[in-house]
Amino acid sequence: MKAAAWLMALGLMAGLASAQEVKWNYDKLAAKASDSVDVSLSGPLLRLATKFLSDDDEDEAKVKKLVGGLKGIYVKSFEFKKPGEYTPADLESFRAPLRGADWERIVGVHSTEDGETVEVYIKNEGKGIGGLAIIASEPKEVTLVNIVGPIDLDTLSKLGGHMGIPEVEVDKKK
Amino acid sequence: MNLDDELRSALRRREPSPDFTARVLARVSMAPVMAAQRPWFSRPATRWVAAMAATLLLAAGTLEYRHYQGERAKSQVLLAMHIAARKLNRAQKKVQMITHRSNS
Amino acid sequence: MTVLQIPERPPLKAAGLDFATLVRQHQAMVFSICWHVLHDRAVAEELAQDVFLSLHQHLATLESPEHVLFWLRRVTSNRALDVLRRRQRRPMVSLENAPEPVAVSSTGDPMLNTALRKLVAALPEKARAIVVLRYQEDLDPAEIARILAIPVGTVKSQLQRALALLREKLSRSLGEIRL
Repeated sequence: MKAAAWLMALGLMAGLASAQEVKWNYDKLAAKASDSVDVSLSGPLLRLATKFLSDDDEDEAKVKKLVGGLKGIYVKSFEFKKPGEYTPADLESFRAPLRGADWERIVGVHSTEDGETVEVYIKNEGKGIGGLAIIASEPKEVTLVNIVGPIDLDTLSKLGGHMGIPEVEVDKKK
Repeated sequence: MNLDDELRSALRRREPSPDFTARVLARVSMAPVMAAQRPWFSRPATRWVAAMAATLLLAAGTLEYRHYQGERAKSQVLLAMHIAARKLNRAQKKVQMITHRSNS
Repeated sequence: MTVLQIPERPPLKAAGLDFATLVRQHQAMVFSICWHVLHDRAVAEELAQDVFLSLHQHLATLESPEHVLFWLRRVTSNRALDVLRRRQRRPMVSLENAPEPVAVSSTGDPMLNTALRKLVAALPEKARAIVVLRYQEDLDPAEIARILAIPVGTVKSQLQRALALLREKLSRSLGEIRL
């Protein structure tokens, strides 16, 4: 009986862990940044926000559909006064937790022209995506996105063209 | 950025809820009937009214704060999605550029 | 079947417009003034309904469609300002201390619209009503002065000051976060 109870507790904890955000420590970046944007929404506050998204407004309706099933949204964006104020080691600490078995890097691009790097990770959960993580860095900016829950990447990328985001041009040359 | 144009866009007219007209007409049709049916003995006791008013004010204050919380949380969700979508698009764009270069 | 019985009122003299048509014709205008001034959808709808109830009571005194439009703009603006003044829950902020949006995009887009609406909603009462009438209704200062029953000079100076502040707060926000 006791063993069964422990197993149940472990199972519950595993379930809880999969529903948690990625454990990122922002302290080092925050200490060096000159400015930051911080969004942390989960649980009742996220549900409340969803209720306030309007079905009548096209943009808000799209976002409402996107975030409906999410458990958490965590976005941090740090701006720095000069290039070089954060180090590659600072960013490595954010990649480490995403090397687990259930995370998969689906995109990793670096541009030598503008020094921009973007990495996109998805968390595999059964048949679908259980989470999204983005690590984007430029010489004077680092953005970290963690979305917990089933997120439709197609719908998210289709927000391009709305909300001031330039649409990705589809290459029609075949 | 032309502020005049942006303000015109931001402050453009919006429609109220779809049943707005129906609700106005319903209120108009009911107003004289409600006034006629109010009996003289329905005047409430002053203390009871004061207690009710206080309860309503408290409830209204709580509702107002919740409304403020909700609107603020909504702004944050919109901002977060804006940032996430933008970064995703940048990644996609760079992948497309790389693919295009390697194909040409 | 429930049938709505609207008490009889004489139709509008010049155009013979009935009340329901007037509601449909002007509901967006009335609601939007309320919403942009009060920034609360539920209260705006309630107030807009009240305005149309008043319109129904005063319809016999209105001479023409233009008179109706002027009357609606005046009553809506003044009632919205009354609600604002009665709202003790929302603390007054000075023009200089109007809260800034978290971040805005550098291109014209719905996020910028939302940010602008919030900045406008944080302006002091009169300035807010003036900006709404100017940009929602495209009215010139003389017309705004007639509607709000204030001097033209006051409208012009308040508008100038409000725009300068909006410009300043926006450009500060645009410069803060680059995405």
